[in-house]
Amino acid sequence: MIATPNLINKVVSGITTWARVNSPWIIHFNSGSCNGCDIEILATLTPYYDIERFGIKLKGSPRHADVLICTGPVTRQARSRLLRIYEQMPEPKFVVAVGSCGISGGTFAGCYNIVGHIDEVLPVDAYIPGCPPRPEAIIDGVVKLLTHLKNGTRPEPIKPQLGEQA
Amino acid sequence: MNTEARLQRAKEILAPFAKETLTPEANRVDVVIDAADLTKATAAMKSANWGYLSAITGMDLGPDAGQLEALYHFCDAAAVTSLRVRLPREGQPEIDSVADQVPVASFYERELSEMLGVIVVGTPDPTHLFLPDDWPEGVFPNRRDFKIEDAAPVERDIPKVPDQGRMGNKFIVPIGPQHPALKEPGHFEFAVDGEIITGARMRLGYVHRGIEKATEQRNWIQNLYLLERICGICSHTHTSAYAQGAEKLAQVEVPMRALAIRELVAGLERIHSHLLWLGVAAHEAGFDTLFMYSWRDRETVMSLLEELTGNRVNYSISILGGVKQDVGLEQSKSVRKAMDYLEERIRYYLDVVTSDAMFLQRTRGIGTMSRDEAILYGALGPTARASGLERDVRVDAPYGAYSKYPVSLITDERGDLEAKFVVRLKELLVSCFTIRTIVDNLPAGELAVRFPRKVPAGETVSRVEAPRGEAFYFIKSEGGESPTRLKIRTPSLCNWTSVLNKAVGHQLADVPMMIAGMDPCFSCNDRMVTVRRKDDSQTMTWAQLRAYGIEKYKSR
Repeated sequence: MIATPNLINKVVSGITTWARVNSPWIIHFNSGSCNGCDIEILATLTPYYDIERFGIKLKGSPRHADVLICTGPVTRQARSRLLRIYEQMPEPKFVVAVGSCGISGGTFAGCYNIVGHIDEVLPVDAYIPGCPPRPEAIIDGVVKLLTHLKNGTRPEPIKPQLGEQA
Repeated sequence: MNTEARLQRAKEILAPFAKETLTPEANRVDVVIDAADLTKATAAMKSANWGYLSAITGMDLGPDAGQLEALYHFCDAAAVTSLRVRLPREGQPEIDSVADQVPVASFYERELSEMLGVIVVGTPDPTHLFLPDDWPEGVFPNRRDFKIEDAAPVERDIPKVPDQGRMGNKFIVPIGPQHPALKEPGHFEFAVDGEIITGARMRLGYVHRGIEKATEQRNWIQNLYLLERICGICSHTHTSAYAQGAEKLAQVEVPMRALAIRELVAGLERIHSHLLWLGVAAHEAGFDTLFMYSWRDRETVMSLLEELTGNRVNYSISILGGVKQDVGLEQSKSVRKAMDYLEERIRYYLDVVTSDAMFLQRTRGIGTMSRDEAILYGALGPTARASGLERDVRVDAPYGAYSKYPVSLITDERGDLEAKFVVRLKELLVSCFTIRTIVDNLPAGELAVRFPRKVPAGETVSRVEAPRGEAFYFIKSEGGESPTRLKIRTPSLCNWTSVLNKAVGHQLADVPMMIAGMDPCFSCNDRMVTVRRKDDSQTMTWAQLRAYGIEKYKSR
């Protein structure tokens, strides 16, 4: 059988999907969070919750990352940096918004230095609600994202229903 | 010297400048002075060695009163002396800088000028402190008539580091805001000569959310939950400080059992925070095994906090007038069990950080700060105590249940990074001991008393020892359902001066460890700082820089 460009493409994309699903590298950016979500994300990486068993690794550079994990509402000063980090990531890239502030602005909605929630700035693929979400919830969100990646689809984000804004 | 004697002494020192002297609370003196006398009054306080400048509160009294007020709070043990300077609201409210006497005041002054529109004459750096670069001129968020519509972004000439990383004859290494070692956004610019740092600058404001202003728009109870989210690490500190201040204003007597439970949670919070710090600091040194170990053990405290309060991070245990949950027999048992385990682990870590040869190379003799420098830079918390400066609100001015369940003060004379590890770990042993004492002797009684919806008019100062140092709250009520002014000064802000000054002369590779050494918390302090920038007006062409390099190389 002669390998056609089509077949090669298919094989290569199969391998990359396999690699991505089995070892997605993540980058974390705090665009105005209180730290609560950040320490819980860090806790998922440490031995008790051990998210590395899914092959997930926290990377320092956006150019190495597949998934951007964002926390907090987006402040005016952090907005351009958040966008720059997103733009530096290679395609295909996925964004996970962690915490109530990232989803709706949370308790900081309406403050003068807040641009808004994360999906007003970036397209978000997965939302993990909580203030802050438990490490188990973060793992659950990431695993749900991985399941979609395995099927080669971008997840249909289900945004939590927001109540009346305080 | 007791508090009364201290206040009497402050009155005597300030007598030549005092227009009016008020005693709003037993431990406070308010001295109204002229703006022209401010530098002299500060100098008098400083030469008499009366406490330290803890915070500057800027207040707008509203368009009707037509006045602004700047309060310079000096703290000495439990005594608080405030210099109250009144300024006109319209025109050019001007005040002299005290930053040449008190370096840390430079941040407070910049905050005062950008948030309230006071012109601080002679402040080392009048640029934006924590508002974004695109903030319009002449709009001040802490003024009463501030409207969010006025703050729409504008195009502005943003002062940037010159291209190609050069600033004069220095090479600038930018770090952050997204950075692999720090989990929070902060932007640093280090001027280096080879590997050696010659200047340090930092820009924060990436997580500035405008909480002080937001408190004025929420009621007393809503604010508790907002302030809890100043910082996810020391959330209980902020609710305690706020609740304590509001309770003082409302003259609500909180039951002892509630205060004891607050202290218990504060102790657990200190353990979680210091273990978190130990891991992160070890990670900066490349000692990831210690990072993983300490974070594994930290989960013990997290589970305990969850068992006691229902939450792992923002515990919400304090309510205005008391606490929400009780500590029962079952929980006391878990606490004791966890303390047994943690004490053993903390002793082990204390052994590791003082005996591991590789680790000591990164910590021993690095970033040494003397006691005098700690005083000059206004260091607080473990950063100050590691330099032998006895400064701990829990001991100096026992609040809540700390007079019933005292803690012992831990200091170390050495002032280097190793001392900071030792001080924090020993503090954990003290915390474990105090926690045991509390669960063994929990007083009987109510958990909470009723807190009024409206708080009587008044002003109060509330100070609490956070894991990182003294947190300072100034709360003003005008009898309404929400505070009129709430000023927060968090410890990380004070400690930055010391770190950035001490970084000069060290190798660039030591910087992450030195920053970690003060346990920075960006979300709470979020401001901008510049130190030790020599004259940078000289710009060099590439050829000149090359010639400079060759000359420098030859002269070695």
